[in-house]
Amino acid sequence: MENSFIYQERIDHLRSRKFAQTREKIEVEGLLDEDDYGRVLPPANAWKSIPNHPDGSFYGLDGWKTNFCNMMETHPVYVDPKDAFAGRWVYFMSRMRSNKWNPDYPFDHLKPDFEKYDIISGIGDDAHFAPDYQLGLSLGWQGILDKIDHYRKVNTSTEQSEFYDAHEKVVKSIQGWISRHIDLIETLIAKETDPALKTNLEEMAEANRNIVSAPPKTLREAIQWIIWYHLASRTYNRDGAGGQIDEMLRPFYEKDLAEGRIDREKAVYLLACFMLNDTIYWQLGGPNKDGVDQTSEISFVILDAADKANCSINLTIRVHDGMNQELFDKSLYYLIKNKNAWPRYSGDKALVEGFMKNGFDAQLARQRIAVGCNWMSLPGLEYTMNDLVKVNMAKVFEVAYQEMMSNKSENPSTFKLWGIYILHLKKAVHAAAEGIRHQLKYQKYNEPELILNLLSHGPLERGLDVSDGGAEYYNLAIDGAGLAIVADSFAALEQRIETEQKTSWEEINYHLEGNFEGMEGERIRLLLKNSQHYGQGNSLGDQWAKKLAEAFTEMVRAESNSELKHTFIPGFFSWANTIGFGQHVGATPNGRKSKTPISHGANPCPGFSKDGASLALANAVALIQPGFGNTAPMQWELDPTLATHNHAQLIGSIIKTHFEMGGTLINVNIMDKDQILDAHKDPAKYPELVVRVTGFTAYFSMLTPEFRQLVVDRILQS
Amino acid sequence: MNGLITTIQRMSIHDGPGIRSTVFLKGCNMRCAWCHNPETLSRIPELEWIQQKCIGCNSCTEVCPTGAFLSTNGEIHFLKEDCTNCFRCLSVCYAEAIGKIGKEISPEEVFAEVEQDFPFFRNSGGGVTISGGEPMLQPEFTQQTLALFNQAGIHTALDTNLSISWKQYERVLPFTDLVLADLKMINDPKHQQWTGKHNSVILENFHKLDSSGIPYMVRIPVIPGVNDNEEEVQALSKFISSLKNMQKLELLPFHSMGSFKYTNLEIKNPMGNTEDLSKERLEYVEKILKQ
Repeated sequence: MENSFIYQERIDHLRSRKFAQTREKIEVEGLLDEDDYGRVLPPANAWKSIPNHPDGSFYGLDGWKTNFCNMMETHPVYVDPKDAFAGRWVYFMSRMRSNKWNPDYPFDHLKPDFEKYDIISGIGDDAHFAPDYQLGLSLGWQGILDKIDHYRKVNTSTEQSEFYDAHEKVVKSIQGWISRHIDLIETLIAKETDPALKTNLEEMAEANRNIVSAPPKTLREAIQWIIWYHLASRTYNRDGAGGQIDEMLRPFYEKDLAEGRIDREKAVYLLACFMLNDTIYWQLGGPNKDGVDQTSEISFVILDAADKANCSINLTIRVHDGMNQELFDKSLYYLIKNKNAWPRYSGDKALVEGFMKNGFDAQLARQRIAVGCNWMSLPGLEYTMNDLVKVNMAKVFEVAYQEMMSNKSENPSTFKLWGIYILHLKKAVHAAAEGIRHQLKYQKYNEPELILNLLSHGPLERGLDVSDGGAEYYNLAIDGAGLAIVADSFAALEQRIETEQKTSWEEINYHLEGNFEGMEGERIRLLLKNSQHYGQGNSLGDQWAKKLAEAFTEMVRAESNSELKHTFIPGFFSWANTIGFGQHVGATPNGRKSKTPISHGANPCPGFSKDGASLALANAVALIQPGFGNTAPMQWELDPTLATHNHAQLIGSIIKTHFEMGGTLINVNIMDKDQILDAHKDPAKYPELVVRVTGFTAYFSMLTPEFRQLVVDRILQS
Repeated sequence: MNGLITTIQRMSIHDGPGIRSTVFLKGCNMRCAWCHNPETLSRIPELEWIQQKCIGCNSCTEVCPTGAFLSTNGEIHFLKEDCTNCFRCLSVCYAEAIGKIGKEISPEEVFAEVEQDFPFFRNSGGGVTISGGEPMLQPEFTQQTLALFNQAGIHTALDTNLSISWKQYERVLPFTDLVLADLKMINDPKHQQWTGKHNSVILENFHKLDSSGIPYMVRIPVIPGVNDNEEEVQALSKFISSLKNMQKLELLPFHSMGSFKYTNLEIKNPMGNTEDLSKERLEYVEKILKQ
């Protein structure tokens, strides 16, 4: 009971401190439409990058090694006596460059299509695949150094020698950073007068001494090891991927329990501190590679710890046929109790069956787990560019529409428009794939993955960067964005011009060019807006959405190359790009005004359904799944009047049914409409309010006004 | 046989167990002063006017043959008494400020529309509920619709005021898994005063339902100043205790959330000035009834 009080007081302190740090970041650095992260502000005399190129940026093995090691030498140390773990990150090293792509490897030939179709190419982007933490936990830092040493004797070219040197130095710089923390902890121990905190610091110091070289042996050591690796990886290039957290930590927890080193309360405390350290994406529950559910006692401990931390948590519950119902129920309990956008849910059936359609077996498919914003990954086994490459399908529509309308010699029709659209979409997808191929060829000279290589199976063994043949698999993601805008536009044109003959191509074109200005423009806009939408069920919009999803899927798949082992996997996701993409697209025939945001991910346009929106949404998003193992998430703005404990089973049944129908991922917000409006007006009043913006969670107060407005609109119209 | 409905509400969670689709039939033989679905009262299609959606484009005033839509200072006004329900305005109102309440539909069309949600019904223990209005005023349609779902293995519920001849109920109950039976009050003069109908048939039907073997639950709207006084609640309590097979008692506290519907229909809301039932009053009634 006494410990319980102490732990609660410490967690409360850490939560308050985290909120204060978030406020400081807003005040000093401004707003940010991204994850919360656990980053704290850099010191006044902040580290500055060391260029190794005339353009002022740094590139390649030498550039990244030099910068990372130099930065680590002076990286601030961070210890809070009430925390179980040492360390926080402060620098976005990958953003401290004047340029993110090495100009010696230009891609000018791809830029015209990138611009024409508003493609986010991902060239020069990083991480977005998962390390295998198990590997790190079993080797420890010295084990990794031994592995480097072993393979440098196998792969002996000059380039490989530099490759191993760079990794060795990176590991040693991380060890140096840990050692500096140990020094600080020891200083704090000497000063600490509170016996309980002194003990905590002594345990913290011991754990760190034990893992500075050797692999961890206890739960505390294992979590601290994960934290060090993660903080280094975050600092290096914002990597936030996690793994199967419960099964990863289970052996340590069980051993500690058996040897009397820990009790459940302490484990909750340790894990709550872990959750407050940073918003890593972890999966909970779900099958192991043989299909057996992995839920254990620590799965519940983790949920309880998340409840205590209750910050921007990124836990995903894997829903499958053999799942532990108790874990599912408990996750629903916390979802409803806290209304803080966690946990979220992934659908095992469609993910596994879909991934197997790429030619992989079930055992491998089950290991591809939820460890990123919208994405799944095989920890340590694949390079993916997940969530980095996006085609603005609404922009492609605009290109096709304008081409058709500029041809005065032929009468326009949706049939013709579709034909033109498909040709342009194919070009856009090909351009995106060419961008990925460019990245695979040259990324090692731009930004080698010096941290993620360490916990991948292959890079050290082969002496090759993970982007350059080091990984086992290249399962490359291309996402389509703006699906609902395109589907609804086709549906509106077909319904209002061709079926009902209420308007004409000329009239619509006139109002599109004029952005629906004036009374008649508004009238036509509403006629189009009130057409049959994607999401209404068996509507014209649904038919176009399905047709579009199938076409996009086929085009992305067609970019695969079995000889090169390049498997291209389609998804529908827009991340936080809905506003940016929208700014590049004029008025569209679904009644959307120029430069307003495009639709969110796989979701229908807001306000798509007059009632039953939850079921309509679940049906619609299941209908358009690409079905090859990547996601088209259902972004669910759940009505708070439904989100009560006595409706938990109903909410659970919607989740399960969506997954039975082929759904892959559900992100949930439960947001009171009055509260979100008030928070939009005065964000500082709600420092603890967390929203699941897309796949990621963020403090509402940290979002830009434009993005807050987008979230508010989505919730109000749900 | 086609029926006349107002809407099929998806994701209904207050009309029986689980996730349900509720089919609201149009037409009611009662005129309960507290009705929160006034659009279901009339047995003919009618026009709904949602002023907030109007953009003032005047398309309606141009086509209305009776001048029921008027433009004054750029604002459109609807004069219900002049409306003949010709619905010419409907197709020109792109803003959807004008709506038609009442849609003819066949049981097969209802089935097709609801079918997409069957997987949710199965996982939540839900199904379809036929409600209204009073669905038993369209007994053939109700029977055929219930039968279609029943044959498909979908849980069926009938929400009724039990005021229709029992013979009609005998036609539909074989296809009904659950009856949601509304009970307003026991005092007959007051029942007539507040609902426009005597309650003798209703009370008689309750006992017939009780001995029919069909699972049922009793739903009592608790209306401030109408049936929330001790005398009436005690009478309700006594009546309920005479029922032997009731599965569940559900109290429906009065709320004013449906008042916008009266505005949209341009009809007088008899309880427009009544406050929502307080939590304390509901607890008071609940305590007596659930003794």
